[in-house]
Amino acid sequence: MKRKFDHSAPADANAETPTGRRYWRSLDDLAATPAVQAQMQREFPEGADNLNGVDRRKFFKLMAASFALGGVGLASGCRRPESYILAYGKSVENIIPGLPLYYASAMPIRRNAVPVLAETHSGRPTKLEGNPTFSNYGGATNAIVQASVLDLYDPDRATTHTLRGTAANAARILDLLASLGTEAKAANGAGLVFLAETSASPTRARLVAKLQRELPEAVWAEYEPVSDEPPAAAASAAFGRADVKPVYRFAKAKRVLALDADFFSTEAGSIGYARDFAKGRRAVDKNVDLNRLYSVESTFTLTGSMADHRLRLASGHLLAFTAALAARITGSDQFSKLSQGLEFKDQEKWLAACAADLLANKGASLIVAGSHLPAEVHALVYALNEALGAIGNTVDFVTASAPAAAGIADVAAALNAGSVKTLVILGGNPAYNAPADLDFAAAIAKAGQVVRLGYHVDETAAAARAGAFIASAHYLESWGDARTADGTIVPVQPMILPLFGGLTELEVLARILGESKPDGYSLVYDTITGINALGGIGGEKGFRQFLHDGLLAGSAYTVARVSVSAPGVSALLAKAAPPVAINEDSLEVRFTVDSKVDDGRFANNGWLQECPEPMSKISWDNAILVSPRLGAKLGIEPGGSLFQVARKETATFTAGREASFIGRLTVNGRTLEGPVSIQPGLSNWTVAVALGYGRTVSGRVGKDVGINAYSIRTTDGLAYASGAKLEIDLARTAQLANTQEHWSMEGRDIVREANLDEFRENPGFVAGMGMEAHSPAVYGDYKPSEFAKLSREERARITAERAVTTPRGGSSMETPNFDGVHQWGMSIDLNTCIGCNACVIACQAENNIPIVGKDQVMRGREMHWIRLDRYYSDGKLEAAAFGGPGNVILPEDPQVSLQPVACMHCELAPCETVCPVNATVHDQEGLNTMAYNRCIGTRYCANNCPYKVRRFNFFDYNERQLDKLYLGPLAPKGMPELVKMVKNPDVTVRMRGVMEKCTYCVQRIQQAKIKQKVAAGASANVEIPDGSFKVACQQVCPVEAIEFGNIKDVNSRVSLAKAREQDYALLGYLNIRPRTTFLGKLRNPNPEMPDYVAVPFSRQEYNTKNYPASMGRGHGDHGHAAGEKPHASVGSSIFGGNS
Amino acid sequence: MSNLFPKSANKLPLQILIFIGLTAGIVSAGITYYATPKYTRVGYAPTQPVPFSHALHAGQLGMDCRYCHSNVEKSGHANIPTAQTCMNCHNQVKTDSPLLAPVREAYASGASIPWVKIHEAPDYVYFNHAVHVARGVSCVDCHGKINEMEVVYHSKPLSMGWCLDCHREPEKFVRDPKLVTNLDWEHPGGEKARIEEGKKFVHDWNIQPPQSCSGCHR
Repeated sequence: MKRKFDHSAPADANAETPTGRRYWRSLDDLAATPAVQAQMQREFPEGADNLNGVDRRKFFKLMAASFALGGVGLASGCRRPESYILAYGKSVENIIPGLPLYYASAMPIRRNAVPVLAETHSGRPTKLEGNPTFSNYGGATNAIVQASVLDLYDPDRATTHTLRGTAANAARILDLLASLGTEAKAANGAGLVFLAETSASPTRARLVAKLQRELPEAVWAEYEPVSDEPPAAAASAAFGRADVKPVYRFAKAKRVLALDADFFSTEAGSIGYARDFAKGRRAVDKNVDLNRLYSVESTFTLTGSMADHRLRLASGHLLAFTAALAARITGSDQFSKLSQGLEFKDQEKWLAACAADLLANKGASLIVAGSHLPAEVHALVYALNEALGAIGNTVDFVTASAPAAAGIADVAAALNAGSVKTLVILGGNPAYNAPADLDFAAAIAKAGQVVRLGYHVDETAAAARAGAFIASAHYLESWGDARTADGTIVPVQPMILPLFGGLTELEVLARILGESKPDGYSLVYDTITGINALGGIGGEKGFRQFLHDGLLAGSAYTVARVSVSAPGVSALLAKAAPPVAINEDSLEVRFTVDSKVDDGRFANNGWLQECPEPMSKISWDNAILVSPRLGAKLGIEPGGSLFQVARKETATFTAGREASFIGRLTVNGRTLEGPVSIQPGLSNWTVAVALGYGRTVSGRVGKDVGINAYSIRTTDGLAYASGAKLEIDLARTAQLANTQEHWSMEGRDIVREANLDEFRENPGFVAGMGMEAHSPAVYGDYKPSEFAKLSREERARITAERAVTTPRGGSSMETPNFDGVHQWGMSIDLNTCIGCNACVIACQAENNIPIVGKDQVMRGREMHWIRLDRYYSDGKLEAAAFGGPGNVILPEDPQVSLQPVACMHCELAPCETVCPVNATVHDQEGLNTMAYNRCIGTRYCANNCPYKVRRFNFFDYNERQLDKLYLGPLAPKGMPELVKMVKNPDVTVRMRGVMEKCTYCVQRIQQAKIKQKVAAGASANVEIPDGSFKVACQQVCPVEAIEFGNIKDVNSRVSLAKAREQDYALLGYLNIRPRTTFLGKLRNPNPEMPDYVAVPFSRQEYNTKNYPASMGRGHGDHGHAAGEKPHASVGSSIFGGNS
Repeated sequence: MSNLFPKSANKLPLQILIFIGLTAGIVSAGITYYATPKYTRVGYAPTQPVPFSHALHAGQLGMDCRYCHSNVEKSGHANIPTAQTCMNCHNQVKTDSPLLAPVREAYASGASIPWVKIHEAPDYVYFNHAVHVARGVSCVDCHGKINEMEVVYHSKPLSMGWCLDCHREPEKFVRDPKLVTNLDWEHPGGEKARIEEGKKFVHDWNIQPPQSCSGCHR
């Protein structure tokens, strides 16, 4: 007898929502679904709930029978449920079941795009990689691109078109669009207003041009809530033309000054910029000449964290700063009026030294201003760049298209004037993110008719409920085209048919225009073949090549010959006002672009929401960020912790929960309430709020997360506004999920840093740090200091030797010898790592890592396999334990050290020795493997891991709704079909109660090995050539900080990286021999600068802690390396040379 | 206490122990025999939607395995042929057979024939056909003599221990990759010569079958 279990979903679960896709982070209330009853049926064997109809006698009869037949049941076989193989009826070209296919496409965003290769499994895209053919990005992407694939399978995306709130089929929508077009043609387009996002799509440009030709009275307006390109007004003033924009060449820049510019994440083309910047930052040997980055900024950005000199200055004072700098660079005091009132510490010295350094590197220096800054700053920067000889060297001005003439203010004015018959909103979310003074949500209602194309049912859809809502297709479902930041034309190819029949912007436009072939493919084909005809290969063949390559070679914007017109710049600047006063009574509010949800468009993306913000480390929220000084003024300076002796908390933490007081931020008569968090490194009187949160109409992930900064943002202060007030309500607190409550390294050698000059003298400086530097050799025959003195070849050889010969033990079972063909290892270059979180999300996408929700993050249960640790240091480690009074103020000008940490695959792994069931053991190639099926969830391994990289599935995060985790079996179970589609089929989806951690992407390793073995066949050639595959974090990394490969091969890239002198093992003194090692971080400060420190702050703290005798010897601001001497030279004794 | 318990109760603890021991022994023996793949899987021969005979196609007609399972050398999955593959011949042969109706329907509509899965590795096992075939493991080693099966049945346990039998002693199984689809092949020199040759292959081709978790579990 076979017991049959029925695990199929109850029928009514699907009936209620036609799509049947209930997202696992559902905030559905329990009452809304008959889930409890339905779940009882699914959780237990069929018939268990029918006991009512069974009398006692029958029950016993049945029980007796089942006992009697138990043995027979076994005898006839306890078989798994029957399953089926569903082969295609007709063979599908190119598809081989089990092998992924890759297609070139691109992710368009604003006026640029990121070229990608989409990995598809049986027709469903699961992972995106950068397209390496686009050499500017070299196959790198960023966190947002990585997470965008999850949006495709968002269960909350709009699934139906609606007309006046009721579902409408596609035919009716198409009819509506066609009739719109014919009506508009009759009126020459009068009363028809389009509001679209900006785009560089050549096809859209073609359609818009046609629109303006055929419907001359129609209004075409574009709006982006945040800009990632400098304002066109700057180019107009400086060059007399609005159609040029700067493209920076960081690879050629030796000195860079960033003015409130976060070119690592928020500027157009930031992936390429980060990549180029890293080229000048890679310390391959001691003779290297590193670039130097000066940063002047109000908030703490990733760019600022990489800066060698960082100046905190309110955004509103940057024009004054630039004017003051201009005086130093050009020698003219033409703009001195503008810099009146500018005041910061060591102002004269700072400006003089910075200007001198930029001038000394004429032709190789570059000034970059943040896109959000006013045109005046940009125009002045253009002039300075010309004076520095940067134009044509480190910055090129390229001919792009001029932005649309009309903006959202024009649309709002037209709406309020009642002259809009039909408003077509293509994408975007203006009701949410338009400047607050326009009150756009109310204005929408004044249009005669609204047609909205949107991906989600959002605030705009709610405001335009009376009109037509067209569900939009995801870019992975669409035909389209786009241009990268440098202008290269890239295709947007569909990987899958629109899951819910969505339309694209191009298709909507074409329908309105009455194009004869209004499908996306034809539109793009016509555009590209039109361009190709100009360039040579045309027609079908050229188009195929375009799709194959994923870009149109040689289509980048042409470099324009420009020269700055001094009168133009002067005229623009003549109108500028001197800086306004910014002080504790009149604060500045800076509206920042969020690194995760961007302008709010990714608010419903669980991967991005859960990713901690790189600096504040807050996930699932934004907050009103204030400087330590403002915090102290407001009386919210928190006390220290009992556990950490040498620091102050940035907030009051209780077990991972940051308890933040509620602040009330008032600017321009508008008020925003939200949690206040202290962010060291912020300009004193600047308050930063990230845009994109506080969505009121969104999916279940994005709704009501954080606070909506758009509600206080008005037209005259889109990026920053002054005159703000912040009040604190000390009676109320909110909890923030902050993943790193600890901000200090406590003087330990976690991230080992040195200045460039020390590195030049002693490239092996890392070997002089850490406990292992002073103890007898823990690793082979050499002490680290002796090892660092060997030649690189020798070190690589010894490392390769050690990889196969190190004695291992401690596991209760025999562990394999390291006799595999390969020995895997990783090297992470902390000197180029910018902490952008791309690896975190890439790993999440590759390895099926679930999100756990804010509540679980607050309990420290986030599942990311790789995390980025962010440490602040200010050199003032003088706590009571080390003879000082302890930190008395929070650091205002900290240095930041960033470190990605994932499983290190220790050769002598502490986790393995404590596993009672051998669920985590080594394999022959040095991987610390995790056998999920063996794991019984004791969590001993996580306890014993010194790096804290193991993650435990406290709940079945994949199968359960995150707001109902604590309901146990009473809660609905099962992953929505739509979410299942994003899972990587090559990686196990883990269940509740098992431990997991970085596997070094074992699936990629095995696939590469299998590929090699298949090719080898009957031959011995089974060693994978170096570089033939990349692990997920390595592949995504824009700065190429991560190398992975075979350390047995002394010539592999990873071996060469590890052989560099600044290679060290984290917590090396433990002698657990991690396979992942780090390359020390270097800083390149300018000795002439007033804030020059001869030794990085974290190093000073290290010295203070480990060499208390050096205290008071003037480390820190005085610029002496005296206290550091003992560690600057390798092999010195523990009591140092300075005693 | 002697008032409460009869003398015979003195043996009770021993009896209980023996009983428990016996029961535990019988239960574990029973489970070992009846509830392991060796018993539960071997012999499983579900009824297929189309009574396809491997004995006829692969045995009598001598078709190569790879004619239908065409991707076995490229992919981890040895694909079940599409209906189109069947129709390559069956648009000429037995065009009216009622048994082939599902195939013709599937070909016409593009829908799938629901073939019942016989050999099924759990989701956490990433078995790869391509590498085994390329390195000289024959179909017959895991699937048995398919070419003699009228109805395909599960012939080997496919348990982890069984996999490891080969991964620990590959020389007993590897053969020239050209011969992997020859299910009737026997070494002309007999079993002993075959192992000798296997040892040579293992050495010459650097065969190191993974024996740790990461080989199959990801």
